[in-house]
Amino acid sequence: MTVAITAGVLVAGAVYLFLKREMLRVILGFVLLGHAGNMILMAAGGTSRRAEPFGTPEEPATVADPLPQAFVLTAIVIAFSITIFMLVLSATGTENDDTTDGANDPANGPTDSADGTSQPRPARHGARTEEHP
Amino acid sequence: MPLLLAAVLLGVAVGFAPGTTAEQYLPWMPTLDVGFALRLDGLSLLFSLLVLVIGAGVLAYSARYLGTSGNHGSFYLLMTAFAAAMLLLVLADNLVVLFVAWEATTLCSFFLIARSGPKAREPAIRTLLVTAAGGLSLLAALAVIVVGTGTTGLSEALASPIWQESAGFSIAVAALLAGAAFTKSAQFPFQSWLPDSMVAITPVSAYLHAAAMVKAGIYLLLRFSPVLAGETVWMVLLISAGLTTALFGAIAALRRTDLKELLAYSTMSQLGLLVAMIGIGTPAALTTAVVHTVAHALFKSALFMLIGVIDKRAGTRDIRELAGLRLRMPVTATVLGLAAASMAGIPLLLGFVSKELMFAAFLETPGPGWVPVLVTALGAATAVLTFAYSGRIVLGAFSGRNGNTVREASAPFYSVPALGAIAGLAPGIAPFVLDGLVSDAASATAGEAVQAELVLWHGLNPALAISAVVLSVGTMLVLARRRVDTVLAPVRFPFSGLAIVDALRSVVVRFGATVGELAGSRAPRYHLAVPMICVSAIALIAVFTVDSLPPIVGSPAEPLDWTLVALVLVGVVAAVRAQTRIAAIVVIGVVGFAMTLWYFVLGAADVALTQLLVEILTVCVMVLLLRRLPARFGKQPLRNRIPAGIIAIGAGLATAAGVWALTGRREMSEAASFFVREGETATGGSNIVNTILVDFRAMDTLGELTVLGVAGIAVAALLHSRHPTAVRSAHLDRGTPLADARANSVFVRTTTRLLGPVIVALSLLLLLRGHYEPGGGFIAALIGGAGFTLLYLAAPTDSAARVRWPYLTLIGAGIVISAGTGYLGYLEGSFLTPLHVEILGIKLTSALLFDIGVYSSVIGIVLAAFNLLGRRHRILHDDDQPPASKEVSYR
Repeated sequence: MTVAITAGVLVAGAVYLFLKREMLRVILGFVLLGHAGNMILMAAGGTSRRAEPFGTPEEPATVADPLPQAFVLTAIVIAFSITIFMLVLSATGTENDDTTDGANDPANGPTDSADGTSQPRPARHGARTEEHP
Repeated sequence: MPLLLAAVLLGVAVGFAPGTTAEQYLPWMPTLDVGFALRLDGLSLLFSLLVLVIGAGVLAYSARYLGTSGNHGSFYLLMTAFAAAMLLLVLADNLVVLFVAWEATTLCSFFLIARSGPKAREPAIRTLLVTAAGGLSLLAALAVIVVGTGTTGLSEALASPIWQESAGFSIAVAALLAGAAFTKSAQFPFQSWLPDSMVAITPVSAYLHAAAMVKAGIYLLLRFSPVLAGETVWMVLLISAGLTTALFGAIAALRRTDLKELLAYSTMSQLGLLVAMIGIGTPAALTTAVVHTVAHALFKSALFMLIGVIDKRAGTRDIRELAGLRLRMPVTATVLGLAAASMAGIPLLLGFVSKELMFAAFLETPGPGWVPVLVTALGAATAVLTFAYSGRIVLGAFSGRNGNTVREASAPFYSVPALGAIAGLAPGIAPFVLDGLVSDAASATAGEAVQAELVLWHGLNPALAISAVVLSVGTMLVLARRRVDTVLAPVRFPFSGLAIVDALRSVVVRFGATVGELAGSRAPRYHLAVPMICVSAIALIAVFTVDSLPPIVGSPAEPLDWTLVALVLVGVVAAVRAQTRIAAIVVIGVVGFAMTLWYFVLGAADVALTQLLVEILTVCVMVLLLRRLPARFGKQPLRNRIPAGIIAIGAGLATAAGVWALTGRREMSEAASFFVREGETATGGSNIVNTILVDFRAMDTLGELTVLGVAGIAVAALLHSRHPTAVRSAHLDRGTPLADARANSVFVRTTTRLLGPVIVALSLLLLLRGHYEPGGGFIAALIGGAGFTLLYLAAPTDSAARVRWPYLTLIGAGIVISAGTGYLGYLEGSFLTPLHVEILGIKLTSALLFDIGVYSSVIGIVLAAFNLLGRRHRILHDDDQPPASKEVSYR
């Protein structure tokens, strides 16, 4: 129950951050989503047995499932490397890390994308210039 | 030349054993019951001979037509491939092979047309579109056949009783096959591509029209005729489409002035007659179809090639322009006349024999009394027009009496078409030479033994009478051709087939664009929202459809858990609400540390340690990034935030419900119990999670290392090839102690000097003991990485951060070591089997070596991140200007 709620909270936060414009927030969303995925993996092994899996236990009924732990361990490290990669993406190319709103968004115009697909462009003037003096 | 040789061989081989069939089978996809099956019966033999002989002739002619200058390699390659595909098509005894060959001819013709110049592009695409649509129709037909008969073998499928038993099956197959054949053989309403494809060079057109491509459709119809002849749908479709095409093709041909275009319409028209004959389906009609196929192949290839000769010599093939020239080409003229006469059906030529047979067959069309009359009338009308346009070709080409003289081409140039035309003469006088070949082919087509007896003189019968009428009316039309021209010139068809194809095409393209727009946004958030909405929808459906779940095992929640839930909640809410980047990163850290506690609580010490270290390193990397990004996030209007919130809460609820409903309802899995019970005995390691990583499931870990390595290389490549965003101004007051980096980092530097060795030792210790206690390659490397991070943070300036280890080499070495350890495993069984050795009383295992590989890779990527992101400027590339920095320099 508690693990399920934790995963739910993490996913809600992750999705909300996904829907933001800034790449950094999207990355943080991915970090949260990674946590949620790991939580779900742990839940898959069952959370009623919580003794650490060391040696050959005398009472296997109380030992936590080691398999999801191994999965989660690798998952954390992979998530780490992917996070670094996304962070680098957000910091290359353009002036800030705003992602694009799509070409069909007349209100915003063609915004610079920090996702590594567009070339650097000169500074724009608009709603966000007050952020950096 | 090889084609001709193959044809001779084929002829000789069959000559020794007439009436038999040869089969060849190679397994191809045995599990799918698809074999590379070839079968040579009478029909296949006839078509093979056409494909090979005409192919050889056209290639020989091409050598002359194209000349030796220029690069024509691709032409010969494609033509040979085309011939091979056609040969495979007519020999295939497997439906899949048949389909592959069919599509291959489509592609070859597309490329052959498309390579004929810039103007050929559009016609080539239209041809491809129409014929590929037919290919889909064929695919559907074959799928229905395979499902219905349960075999992919062609002859087995044809022998299946289902054709008689299931009317619906036959009707569906008949309609689909007819669709496929109509596109390929340019029958109404798919006729437009054929004249359109006249942009191709003459040899291509000759082959396309005489032996390949369009004959593929005819072959398909003939091949399935034994099971479909007599089917009402089949008859109605084939006869009506065939005759319509025949008549309109003939009329259109009369209106052309370009001789090649005229021939294209005549091909359409002749094919229409063939299709109609196959539709009639009586043995006599099918025999006629076979004979006419041969006749048409001979005279049409000859005609095309001769027009090519004239075109080359005179520089034009338009009747109006030819009228202004004086062609002195006696041989060409004679041969052209011969071929045209065969097409027109003048006695003593093969065309006459087939035309006689055609009228006889038309008169016996099954059905109500008016049908044979109508069919024969239409056929006769087509024949009259055929006569007229045949005359138009010859007279049009050679009617010029004044102007420049055009001399005869050299003998090798016209010899090939001459052979073709004369080949139509010989069996015209003595048709019985074809008896054996035609009988075999007709027998295979009719599904019963047919003994064809071709004779020149059929005696006085209705067919002869019709022929006489046709000849006389045709002659009149030729004589009155000026008047015919003036009558036909203003006739306009209300719509053009090409326009329809183009309109359809643009509709499809527009449809594709519309569909693409839905998913084609460049905004990541629109893409990211879609799966989440879908997840919520699935959960919603599940709420209403799932009734009972297995009981929950044990007590999955403990009181302490709620504290952690609260902690995570606080962290997430704060992260979502953070307005500045630094705040967001800090509160994300809160979530990470809460997760660490969670893992400890759940009994996963290794995982918790890993999480802790990763969290620290992630925050450090993010901080490095911060100085390149604006301090505050942009403000989003409320109308954007509310839907985002709704989607987020939906996804969250769905996740929570899913996890609650789908987990914790079973005992420990079998694999996990095995690891817990046997892990220590099997591997000698007591840390079960670590033994899973490096012993039991080392392959997974190796894959993961590779991902790490790729990410590290990608980061390096990205930063080496692109400018990072410029570093932003710090706006420090010079009076504060913070301004002097050297002074304010004294404390950290001192600490680091003490801590550094400890961290290195700890890291190595964790690496070595990982098999038995919490630790292992990942954790050790992350601690080592944290040590380097500390070194980095303690450095007063970028350039003083002295960790310059070759991170890419480290990553690569790690992967090599791990993979190499895997190969060591071959000593004792298989890849990645751990080896255990005992040296001087110390137990060593190759798993440790594997873990060292892991260690090296992870250290590598941490170093890569810090070295690449931490520097103000890029490191490599001396030729690049560093990006203008806005940072206040330290003084």
